[in-house]
Amino acid sequence: MKSRDQEYKEIFIAEALEYYDALNRHISDLEKTPEDEQVLAEVFRLLHNLKANAKAIGYETIADVSHKLETAFGMIRSKELNFSDEVVTVLFDGIDMLGEMITGIDGTKEVEPSQALLRNLDIVINSQAENSTELSKVQKHYTSKNLSLSDLIYIQIKKLDHLLNLVGELIIDRDRIFSISKELDNDDLKNVSAHLYRITEDLQYSVMDARLVNVGSLFNKFPRIVRDIAVAEKKEINLEISGSDIQIDRNILQIITDSLLHLMRNAISHGIEKADVRKKAKKTPNGNVMLSAQNDRDTVILKLTDDGKGIDQEEVRRAIVQRGFLSADAAGDLRDTEVLSYLFEPGFSLAKEVTEVSGRGVGLDVVKNAIDSIGGRIRVDSKKGEGTTFTLFLPTSIAVKGALLCQVEENFYAIPLMHTDSVVALPTEELHEVGELLVADINGETITIVSMRELFNNDLSQYAVKKSDLQGEAQNIIIVTYNNRKLGLIVDKLLRQQDIVIKALSKPVNTIEIYAGVTLLGSGKVCLVLDVAAITRYFIARR
Amino acid sequence: MESQNIRDKKEKVVEEKVHLIVFKLGSEEYGVRIDQVKEVTITPEITRMPKTPSFIKGVSNIRGDIIAIMNLEERFKIERPSGPSSPHTYTLVMEAKDYTMGFIVYEVPQSLTLPVSSIDKAPAFIQDININENFIEGIGKYDDRLIIVLDIFKILTSDEVLQLKS
Repeated sequence: MKSRDQEYKEIFIAEALEYYDALNRHISDLEKTPEDEQVLAEVFRLLHNLKANAKAIGYETIADVSHKLETAFGMIRSKELNFSDEVVTVLFDGIDMLGEMITGIDGTKEVEPSQALLRNLDIVINSQAENSTELSKVQKHYTSKNLSLSDLIYIQIKKLDHLLNLVGELIIDRDRIFSISKELDNDDLKNVSAHLYRITEDLQYSVMDARLVNVGSLFNKFPRIVRDIAVAEKKEINLEISGSDIQIDRNILQIITDSLLHLMRNAISHGIEKADVRKKAKKTPNGNVMLSAQNDRDTVILKLTDDGKGIDQEEVRRAIVQRGFLSADAAGDLRDTEVLSYLFEPGFSLAKEVTEVSGRGVGLDVVKNAIDSIGGRIRVDSKKGEGTTFTLFLPTSIAVKGALLCQVEENFYAIPLMHTDSVVALPTEELHEVGELLVADINGETITIVSMRELFNNDLSQYAVKKSDLQGEAQNIIIVTYNNRKLGLIVDKLLRQQDIVIKALSKPVNTIEIYAGVTLLGSGKVCLVLDVAAITRYFIARR
Repeated sequence: MESQNIRDKKEKVVEEKVHLIVFKLGSEEYGVRIDQVKEVTITPEITRMPKTPSFIKGVSNIRGDIIAIMNLEERFKIERPSGPSSPHTYTLVMEAKDYTMGFIVYEVPQSLTLPVSSIDKAPAFIQDININENFIEGIGKYDDRLIIVLDIFKILTSDEVLQLKS
C-alpha cells in the first residue's frame, strides 16, 4: 500500500506535467500571435495553478520559478513588457526549466534551477527601463528532453460507470452459471464456475476501488467555504476536519456535495450564535464546527457537528401541529427522535416559526432526497443550547448492496439492508387492530404493521386489514426503518440475505412509487426491490 | 368497409413498400412496422408487478434488460376468442425512443410486405371502437385480409402509459 504522501506526490507530478505540456503548446502559439489575450490568460492561469499546487505540497523552488514566470506573463498582459525575442527566449527557458524540475521530483536528486536563468527572469521582470543586453547566456543542458508519458491517467467517470454496469451484469450471469453448475453436478463445470466466481469478484472490487476517492477531496473545500460564510455572518468559526482519508465512491460524494454544503451553511448561519450570545451561555466566543468521516464496514459515516444553540423540540412539536402534520395530542406523544425527523418532511421547511426560531428545516427535505437516492440514511440529534449533529450514513459504493430477500405470494422482493432493522416472527394474536391498521408492541415500541399482501392487492386508499385477513398463527415481520420511524412488513416467507445489484426500472413502470428498482437473482428470476422510503411515507401520512 | 376504397393519390407514383409484423389480437389481424420491432421471442417468465394496471402483466428479463410487458388485448379491451389456446405466447419487443416494452401476442407473428398504397388512412368512425384512433396508422389490405396497422410509438408514449400510477 502506498502512503498518502506518495499518492499526492504522484498526482501533483501528473498534473504539473500536464500544465507543462499545455504551457509549451500555448507559448508556441503565443510566439505566432503575441497579441492573443485568451492564450495569455490561459498561460497565466496555468502558471498560477502550478504555483499554488507546488506551494501546497512543499516544492518551493517550482513555486518560485512559476511565480516569476507568472509575474512576467502578468506584465505582458498588462502591456508593461513586450513579447520581444529576448524575452521569449528567457520565458521559453523558464518553462523548460519548470519541466525539468517537475520530472526531477521523482528522480534521485532534486533539480536546482539555474541561477543564470533566475537572474534573467528577474531582469525581464524589472527591465522596463533597463537594457536587455544584460541577459546572460543560459546553459541549456536541460533542453535535451527525453519524452515520457505520465503514470497516471485521467478517465471520465462515465467510462467507469459503464464498466461498473457491465460488471454488475456479469455478476448476475456468474451467479446463474454458479447455480446451474451446482444443479448439473459436473466437476469440470464446477471448477470453472468457482474460478469464474473468484475472478469476477476480484474484478468487481477492482472496479469499485478505481472509483473510490478520498472524502478529503470534498472536505478540503470546506475551510474556504466556512471562512466565507463566517465572514458573511460576522461570526468566528473553528472548523475541525477529521477522517479525510476515508474512501468513498466518487459519484456518491458528488451527490451529497450540495447536501453537505447546505448543512454547513445552516450550521453556521443558524446554528452557531453570535459571539455575545455565546459568552452569556458560557461558551467560547468562537463557534466550533466539526466535520468528520469514519468507516463502518460497507458504510461511510459523515458527521457534521456544531456547538450552537441546537433545535428546540417544543418549537418543532408546535410547528408539526401548525403545519397540520399531526394533531396536538399526537405531536405531544411523539418520541424525541421522531420529532426531529419531521424536519425532513417536504413543506416543513416553510414553517415560519421553526425557520426563525431555530433556523433549521430550510430545504432539509432536498438533502434527505439526495441521500435517499443513493440508499443512504440521515439522522439528526440535537440538544437545545448544546448543538446539533447531522449524521449521514452512506454506502461506500453504489453498485452492490446487501438486501434481505422475502416472498409475498409468488414473487420475490428485496429490501435493502440499509433500511431493515430486525426480523421477528410474531404470533398473530399479539397484533392489535387500531382503526384500519395493525399495530404490535415490539421490544417496547408500538409499531405499525403492514400486510404486504393487502398492500399489493388493494388500492392504497382502500388499505384496511383485520387480523382475520391474516393467514397462519404467526406472522413473519420485517421491521424497516426510515427517517427514524419504524414500520413492520408482513411477508409470506423470509428467504435470505444477499448482495444485489439494483437496476433502475425502465419506463413506463419507473413511476410506480413503491419500487426502488429491480434486480436479477442467480436463478435469472426478476426480483423487485421495495422502496422503504415510499412505503413508510405513505403509512406515516395516513396516521 | 367498401366506402374506404378511395385511396390517397400521392403514394401511387412509386410502388413504395412497407414491411409489417402481423399478429392477432382477438380475431382481427394487426400489424406494426418492422423497424419498430426489436425482436420477437417466446414470452419469458413474467414477474407480476403489484400496483400496476391489469394490462401491465409485469416485468421480464429479456437478454439482461428488464422490460415491462403489456397485454394489448386487455389494454384495448378486445375479447379473447374462445377455443384452445396455444401452449405458449409470444412477446413482441418494441422500441420507443428511450425505452423498450414487450407486447404479448397469442400466435406466431408473421412478416408481411405490402405496398404503402394499399394502406388506407384510418376512417373517422373508428373512433367508436375501443382502440383510440390515434393509435391506428391505417388499414392495410392484403389479398382479402384486413390488417389494422398500429402506431406503436403512439401507444408507448400515450399519457396513460407514461403516467402509470397505482
